[in-house]
Amino acid sequence: MNAQARQHGEPILSARGIVNRFGKQVVHDKISLDIFAGEIIGIAGGSGSGKSVLLKTLIGLRRPSAGEVLLNDKKIEAIGPAEKAALIGVLFQQGALFSSLSVAQNIMFPMREHTDLPTEDQETIAAMKLALAGLSADSGIKLPSELSGGMVKRAALARALALDPRILFLDEPTSDLDPITASGIDALILQLNKSLGITVVIVTHDLTTLFTICDRIAVLVDKKITVDTLDNLMRSNQPWIHEFLHGPRAEGAKRGAITARKRSHGNG
Amino acid sequence: MQQTASEPVPLTVAIHDDGDRMTLEGVLDIRTLAEAERSLKEWRTKRKSRVLDVGKLTDLDTPGALFLCGLRDRGVELTGVRAQHKALLDLIGGLALKPLLKLEAVPRWRQLVIQLGKGADHAWHDTLDVITFVGQAASLIGNALIHPQSLRLASISRHILETGIHALPIVGLMAIMISIVIGYQSVAQLRPFGGEDFTVNLVAVSVLREMGVLITAIMVAGRSGSAFTAEIGVMKAREEIDALEVMGIDPMQVLVAPRLIGLIIALPLLAFFADIMGLLGGAMISQSLLDISPLQYLERVQKAVDGWDLFVGLFKAPVFAFFIGVIGCMHGLRVTGSAESVGQETTRAVVKAIFLVIVLDALFSILFEQLGI
Repeated sequence: MNAQARQHGEPILSARGIVNRFGKQVVHDKISLDIFAGEIIGIAGGSGSGKSVLLKTLIGLRRPSAGEVLLNDKKIEAIGPAEKAALIGVLFQQGALFSSLSVAQNIMFPMREHTDLPTEDQETIAAMKLALAGLSADSGIKLPSELSGGMVKRAALARALALDPRILFLDEPTSDLDPITASGIDALILQLNKSLGITVVIVTHDLTTLFTICDRIAVLVDKKITVDTLDNLMRSNQPWIHEFLHGPRAEGAKRGAITARKRSHGNG
Repeated sequence: MQQTASEPVPLTVAIHDDGDRMTLEGVLDIRTLAEAERSLKEWRTKRKSRVLDVGKLTDLDTPGALFLCGLRDRGVELTGVRAQHKALLDLIGGLALKPLLKLEAVPRWRQLVIQLGKGADHAWHDTLDVITFVGQAASLIGNALIHPQSLRLASISRHILETGIHALPIVGLMAIMISIVIGYQSVAQLRPFGGEDFTVNLVAVSVLREMGVLITAIMVAGRSGSAFTAEIGVMKAREEIDALEVMGIDPMQVLVAPRLIGLIIALPLLAFFADIMGLLGGAMISQSLLDISPLQYLERVQKAVDGWDLFVGLFKAPVFAFFIGVIGCMHGLRVTGSAESVGQETTRAVVKAIFLVIVLDALFSILFEQLGI
């Protein structure tokens, strides 16, 4: 219901008629997607369905062969680098932390480039972002190579949050993580979404993430996109979506998700 | 920062008439934080007020909330907090914040001593590593000579192509250039004594004995030594070396041996090619500066040099090749995983290989002098 109501509002990010082509191979055929402020939307699809290409198009790293992406009603190419950095935060799949800088320096890097805050303030803010991402202050002096997989994701998340972006893009935030750490990341995303009101776009295969925290799910199948709430997608007749949401892995994830939702509702 | 139409309204700070109430209004975010801090500091030194009204803030982000929490902790009372800002303040206020750890500052002189000690220790271990690796590589090659069927011919020929044949144009060009340089200098120095005809001897002997092989070795150390380090290093970083070991295949056998053997075959051939090109350069310089025709030049070269000069030059080539290959492969296997370490090891490999080539060349010069050849 909540997501339905949001759809009447103005989208914060909207992709219209996106076509992506590599040579003769068409990856996306005129797909459109509206993302509304404050929602968590999951982008799912089989391997090779063009999830990452879509993500790159949405954040303006890749120019689509046709169509346009509007961020706050402005064409994404027309937005200046400083403004874009303040609007968009991205957690890359491998973290993409700069390996020559410590974790704290990684977080302070965008602040140093885009604000004129004194260094002490930047450090205080970096410590706060670390705490927000669930890392202790002493991990700040570590180098990215000294972090575990889960900590890399958290540190990269802290850096993505450095300028308090309005939209957070997460590329496979729970891949390569053990289930406990993955649930921790899921809970963190949900908490950031609720308390900071940040819009979250998650590209993921992780069914548990899709079932537990996403308000809506966009599924890429056959070069097209289907966007709906989980409940509606569950009733879909499309063979791939049906298989995706009703396969053996999905059943297990669903059971877990129901308990997880109950627990989070109990707390909230 | 450029101002655009969609840029948020700048933060404004206003002081109420009664003098002890402060109102913040507008946007308090990471961009306006510095300004807010300045104005509030001014205000706090002037007046002893403890009440801050934040009801007119339209926008608040996490650094702004952190700033307000900091004020609250220092006893400032925040009034009129909006509902949507309260959640954020509660979240940020609830975080267990600790300052970032700072690395302890070490005095300059102690840093110097520490670095000196570390450097010495490093150099010592480095030397041991080189000796160990040289031993391993030598036994590898000895083994290959005893069991030629274990050689990977396809791999060796690929490395001969890459390190040898692809290097032909640049090595040839360098050899010609070097002999032109030597030729010009000799003519200039020998002319006052009327001995400029000896330029031919000087060029031929120095190219065959020293310059041809030295230039080739330095070029190959820069070209192929670095390539060995980077190739093996990236394989190490991507766990491909571990994969080989798990399959029961010795990485030394698969990766190091073909490269070493390929280079040991390719470098002498390259050096010979450089010798020929160097002599060609000598012919060019003789023709243009001394009016010696190519035929006369050939005759003079025949008189000036003998087989030993060629042998002395080419004898060094496989030795240089062995050390360039060993250093390149050794540093490749030392890569630890980050992109930075690939770069560091490649730099070290090239510097060390060129250094070793020149040191060995000096030792050879002394040796041949003592032997009288």
